[in-house]
This record gives sequence, C-alpha cells and structure tokens, in this order.
Amino acid sequence: MSLTIYGTSVNSRLLIGSALYPSPEIMKQAILASGAQVVTLSLKRQNPAQQAGAKIWQYIQEVVNQQQGYLLPNTAGCKSAKEAVTLAKMSREIFQTNWIKLEVIGDDYNLQPDPIELLSATEQLLADGFNVLPYCTDDLVLCQRLYDLGCQVIMPWASPIGTGKGLINPYNLETIRLRLPEATLILDAGIGKPSDACLAMEMGYDAVLLNSAIALADSPVVMAKAFALALQAGEQAYVGGIMEQRQTAHPSTPTLDTPFWHQSRG
Amino acid sequence: MNIYLNGQLTKLAEPPMTLEHALALYLTENDQQQSFAVAVNSDFVAKAQYAHTQLQEGDSVDVLFPIQGG
Repeated sequence: MSLTIYGTSVNSRLLIGSALYPSPEIMKQAILASGAQVVTLSLKRQNPAQQAGAKIWQYIQEVVNQQQGYLLPNTAGCKSAKEAVTLAKMSREIFQTNWIKLEVIGDDYNLQPDPIELLSATEQLLADGFNVLPYCTDDLVLCQRLYDLGCQVIMPWASPIGTGKGLINPYNLETIRLRLPEATLILDAGIGKPSDACLAMEMGYDAVLLNSAIALADSPVVMAKAFALALQAGEQAYVGGIMEQRQTAHPSTPTLDTPFWHQSRG
Repeated sequence: MNIYLNGQLTKLAEPPMTLEHALALYLTENDQQQSFAVAVNSDFVAKAQYAHTQLQEGDSVDVLFPIQGG
C-alpha cells in the first residue's frame, strides 16, 4: 500500500532524515536499507573552509535518485513565522519542490513547536503555493486548525526531537487519528525504537518520520531494516484489524472434550 | 560601506554594489559552484533579482547551502 503526500504516491511509509550518521556513506546505505523514498534535509550557512556540506548534498542527491525518491526540506532552527517563510522560499528555489517540513520552534529546552507561529507560517506558505507538512505537538485542536487551513498532511510529535522516548501520549495521538480520519498523519520526532513506529502504524497513522533512532544506532543500516519491517508489521496489523481487549480470560483451546475435565468433582 | 555576509562584517570595495556583484566578489569560487539561496535582511531574494538588488549600508546577506537535516 502506498502513501500519498499531496497527490504524490510513494511506496514506503517511512520518511527518513539525513543527519547525524557516522559518515555520508553510512547515511546512504542506511537510507537505501530503509526503503524510504522521502529524505529530509536543510539549509545552513556554510563555513567556506569546511566543504562537508557540499559532499553530504551530493550523497543525498545520489541516494534520492537511486530510490526514485523525493526531497523534503525542513525549516529547522526557525523561531518565528517570518524566518520559516523565508527559509521555505529559499528551499523551494534550491530544491525545486513545493514540499516543506515546517518547523517553528518555541522553546529551546525541548524544541517544542510554537503553535501560534506555526499556524501563521502555514497560512502564508499555503497561500504561496507550498505543500506544507507541519511539525506540531500532539494537540488535537492545533492539528484540527492546521487541517482546516488546508494542510493535507499533519505531523504531530511522538515526543521531543532526538529524545527517543517514543509515544509519550498515546491517547492524544489516537484521538487525533480518530478526529481527523481524512488527514494524512505522519508521526514525527521522538521515535526511539522500531516498536514505537509499529505502535503508531497500529493506531492507523499513515507514516513515520524519523532520523536519530536510525542514525544513532550501533548499526544504522541494520536498524534501518528493522524500522522498515516494523512499519510493515504495524500497517498490516491496522489493516488486519486488532482484536478488542477483554477484561477476563478466555481459553484459546476449546474446552469441549478436554480429557480429565471436571474429573476432580467425582 | 559595510554589510554583514553570513554574519561577518564585510567591507564592500566598490560601493554601491548589487547583490550579484557582491556574491561574485565575496563568495569563494567553490561556493559559487554550489547550490545556494540568498536572503537580504531576512527576506528571500530570488536568483533573478540578484542583479536588481542594490545593497545598502548595514545590510545583512545570508547565503545558505544544502546540508543534512532531520
């Protein structure tokens, strides 16, 4: 089953970041192993004495071409709607895409998105023809507002960026899924292990975006494969329909004709 | 006349100067061959406007390049 992002279908429900890998080559191998077709990247001032950025950009281009994939530029580091809008426009010119992973950070401690600035930036960018993928907290009303503005894709966090704490508030995430059945929901940030991604997919999320959990693993390539499998398992579990929990025990094996059944009563 | 180029105070040799001229003079040859985008005073300036953008005293010019991101 494919994932649709603003009318574009991709085969993998895993979106992957390009940062924090031990080396550009390991980044490339991990992205290939993950099967992800959407790769996030960013824009920064570059120190002329250090050309590592240019090399990374070459690797990212290579792997995205190899995957027949898509670039998803972000606005990481922006703290106001104005900064984010400017960075989005710069990204569109360089990467030739209307997609933007919109990040507007409101707090330095937990890198929590600023909902007020995020809504403002979203409104401006949608009006300017961008396909906005807003990174937001797991606040139902905020997600509803983003959807009402015209976002087809919404990306609530699992937990703060880079913490690996997983889904810290499953109730909120389930409620967002329940209340916004038509939105494409991508769980973004805070994923620590494959079972976190699997849980999101079991809830009915459409995809997961992550970076640190793969890049900081002992073996990013092996972990990338693990995440790919976990996402498939979670998605199939959702499609298959998970049984309802029951309060009391029920025998799995039929009790009829069980040998020695109630023998002690005699 | 001074501008800030990626935060660094830079004295323009031949003011007044267009953005296009300043980038040609003050970006390294290697940087000029890379993909980049520019903002002046935090406003995006499209490539087509470089030649028509006149820099003013104290302008802040940001030149950004692709880099890894999550």
